[in-house]
Amino acid sequence: MNKAADRGPAMPKVDLQFDRPHRQHAPLDQLAVRYRIEGCDGVSIRAIEHSVLWYTEGKGEEDLGVHFFQRITDRALMPPTVVTGVFSTPLPQSPLSYEGLIVKVRWCVRVRLFFDGSRDFVSEHVFALGRLPPARLPASRA
Amino acid sequence: MAVPVSNPFSTRYTRPGCIHPLDGGGRRVDVDGLLERLQGLGGTAAIVGPHGSGKSTLLAHLAEAIERRGGNAPRIRLQASRDAWTAWRAIRQSAAGATICIDSWERIGLATRGLLRVAACLSGCGLLVTSHRWAGMPELTRCATSAKLLRAIVGSLPDHVCWHGTLIHDADIEAAFAIHGGNLRESLYELYDRFEARGKRIHGASGAGPADRDGSDGGRHGIHESADGFSYAGAPERNLG
Repeated sequence: MNKAADRGPAMPKVDLQFDRPHRQHAPLDQLAVRYRIEGCDGVSIRAIEHSVLWYTEGKGEEDLGVHFFQRITDRALMPPTVVTGVFSTPLPQSPLSYEGLIVKVRWCVRVRLFFDGSRDFVSEHVFALGRLPPARLPASRA
Repeated sequence: MAVPVSNPFSTRYTRPGCIHPLDGGGRRVDVDGLLERLQGLGGTAAIVGPHGSGKSTLLAHLAEAIERRGGNAPRIRLQASRDAWTAWRAIRQSAAGATICIDSWERIGLATRGLLRVAACLSGCGLLVTSHRWAGMPELTRCATSAKLLRAIVGSLPDHVCWHGTLIHDADIEAAFAIHGGNLRESLYELYDRFEARGKRIHGASGAGPADRDGSDGGRHGIHESADGFSYAGAPERNLG
């Protein structure tokens, strides 16, 4: 899924891997990810941001909380010199991931690339925190 | 537990600023052309249209375009008459030449609207407002809806090709438009519910969709792909309004 196609010539891709199978984490777990940036040949990146955050998704106003944030501006640590990255953070106890009908709570790892100029690119990778059972559809609607 | 599929009709993807403004025929609105027209109208004008016709979306894009050109375009959403103070402060704090963008202009009384207009005039600021009815200022454009427009919006949502025709059909789009009398916002909420209900029915109550598996089957259909993630240009805080 990529909406960046019409924003410029470069079509980056961030291939990210979680340390836990099925991207399932328990509260207070240590989250560790490694990623690889592809498709940035010939494009100068001036900063990379790593973040771990939760957000709500549904029909109403959205809420969002950033749990971990890191900004890298040292060009020696980013493409074309280096195309991989790792970071980790302990996860909090809440809010737990939740699959509601009207609202959902999602956790994600976000890697954001800032190119020279004003263009940027965001890659989000969802994971689950906790094991809350999802909401069930009322029988009348199912 | 697998990673859930996003609902493309959630406000994350449909709120003002997310979708490029389209006209009643589903064609992209010429934002730059509207800005030139706004300039020709003296910098103060209204976007007029019924509920859920895309006024706020257009306002968000115009404000962004003004800022891209180096201008100042603070945005205020009026939800009650007391919010007029927020607009007042924005006018007072803005330098001459700013365009104060006010959503739901009709929510404040006639006298307050008059005071804000005088304040903006004295500060050398323009006012760009949305209103359901005549706003007492030149009309920049009038928003109208159609089933064709709704289809175009739905077609622009993430991973449209993956769920259109399976979870959401053309008949759903037509029905949503008809049920809600052309109100696009409510129509999108209606489609949210249908997507949610069918997704749960097809993928079970686990919340897991086809994209939630490890992705090794190569047939991933969801927005959050397990290997590649969900990527887009620009931060969501800005992209999504």
